[in-house]
Amino acid sequence: MNFLYFDPGLGAMIVQAVVAAAAGVLLFSKGVMYKIKGFLGILKEDDDTYDSIDIDEKEDKDETK
Amino acid sequence: MKQNNTRPHQASFRDPSGYMFYDGDVLRRAINPIYFKQYNALKDSGFIKTLIKNKLLIPHTQTTVSDKQIVITPEPIVFITNPYEWSFEQYKHAALHTLKVHKYALSKGFILKDASAYNVTFHKGSPVFIDTLSFDFYEKDTPWRAYKQFITHFFGPLVLASYHGTEIFKMLQTHIDGIPVKLIASLLPGKSKLSSTIYTNIHLLAKMERTHSEDYKAETKIAKLSLKAQNNIIDNLFDFIKKLSIKEETEWGNYYDKTNYNDAAFQGKKTLIEDWVTALNPQRLIDIGGNDGTFARTVVTKVPHVIVTDIDSNAVGYNYKQIQQNKETNMLAFVCDVLQPAPGIGLNNLERNSLTERLQIYSPDVTMALALIHHITLSGNVPFDRSAQFFAAFSKHLILEFPTREDSWVSSLLVRKREFMNHFDFYNQEAFETGYKQYFDIQKKETVTGTKRVLYLLKNKV
Repeated sequence: MNFLYFDPGLGAMIVQAVVAAAAGVLLFSKGVMYKIKGFLGILKEDDDTYDSIDIDEKEDKDETK
Repeated sequence: MKQNNTRPHQASFRDPSGYMFYDGDVLRRAINPIYFKQYNALKDSGFIKTLIKNKLLIPHTQTTVSDKQIVITPEPIVFITNPYEWSFEQYKHAALHTLKVHKYALSKGFILKDASAYNVTFHKGSPVFIDTLSFDFYEKDTPWRAYKQFITHFFGPLVLASYHGTEIFKMLQTHIDGIPVKLIASLLPGKSKLSSTIYTNIHLLAKMERTHSEDYKAETKIAKLSLKAQNNIIDNLFDFIKKLSIKEETEWGNYYDKTNYNDAAFQGKKTLIEDWVTALNPQRLIDIGGNDGTFARTVVTKVPHVIVTDIDSNAVGYNYKQIQQNKETNMLAFVCDVLQPAPGIGLNNLERNSLTERLQIYSPDVTMALALIHHITLSGNVPFDRSAQFFAAFSKHLILEFPTREDSWVSSLLVRKREFMNHFDFYNQEAFETGYKQYFDIQKKETVTGTKRVLYLLKNKV
């Protein structure tokens, strides 16, 4: 068992199942909308300067070759 | 390493995994044996290396290793800004950064074990995660233990700010461990329940927390949550936060579009500042009331580190966007109200130190206060010797622009005093000089061509 030095909140631990389910539905429908908008060519450009959630690990792999 | 010359960092005591301490002037991190297993796994798997390489985590070097303690030395951060000093964009990016780090951790069999907003600060123009010991092993099908902390530190304040403005962030000064979920839920308008993301992450969370608040013996079984489900939460929060925006009337707005001087005067002021600053050859410079950084930008290539602060969160946000776009790694922007600077908060009032203390440590070679004095004096009713005392507490050289009574902004501020207008007869150059001479020597004094403003170069007497 990993130790934890603050109370995560029991309600917060339980609620995550519901939060995840709602998020799943939303992400799925967004994915569908994205494809439709892409097909119709009406995708908006994001003007926020923060990049995506995914890390580009390609460089790391190249180095280890 | 000399053990006798060390003292603990006042903010580092919550996590038993280790602590920060000053070794002379150098800030280092000690890791306790309880965390050796995690630390070695994080290091040996290349996880830490990738995070550092992608500029997600502050770089560090391993200093000493023994059975009792491992000591690492992180790259120094020149100036720490706190969540209640960030613009909306900065707060947003700090939140996105935290989610990104957690998602990457999950993909490698780790988790972010805490999601405190104080684990992120701005360094070299971008957010960076600064708590190297915030990771732990992922246990199959367990929910994210830092989830509630993420909501109270990041998601809640951001959603509230999108409805009520960035003043909300100041609530973090009185709630060092984030705004309580119940309070967040009660401050949100009813229509916010229509958003399934806000409803589940805040309103439902608040309800569940209330329902389970009396589980003193920790008897209730914790539901399982698959890795895929946890990733859905993270991805959805990321998408939602990325699209959050704020509709706030700005105090200065397009300030430079409505300035009362023409292009030539603007250019004249720029040239004067450039000349004076260059001659002083400063290593560190702070522009207080610097709006979106227009004037600080005239010297940004000549000074190794520049800070721009303003009371207007929108101006700071705009400045931050320019910093990101121009990749100005030596400029830092944050929100500050000179009349009410961030206090020391937390345990002993020392956990997060006050702005004045941080400015003293930063110890700028040049402080700029351009067209700020009339606001401090006339809107804040601060006598000249008292504002001089404020600047003298941390400044070596002070470049101050004094708009005279004939300046249209000053006249407007005076007219608005109505019948009390003559209470402000002291607002003149002579009284200004008398007040400031208590702390400073006047080295230069020049009228900005085409304006009713005088630029002073002052040197601290100490």
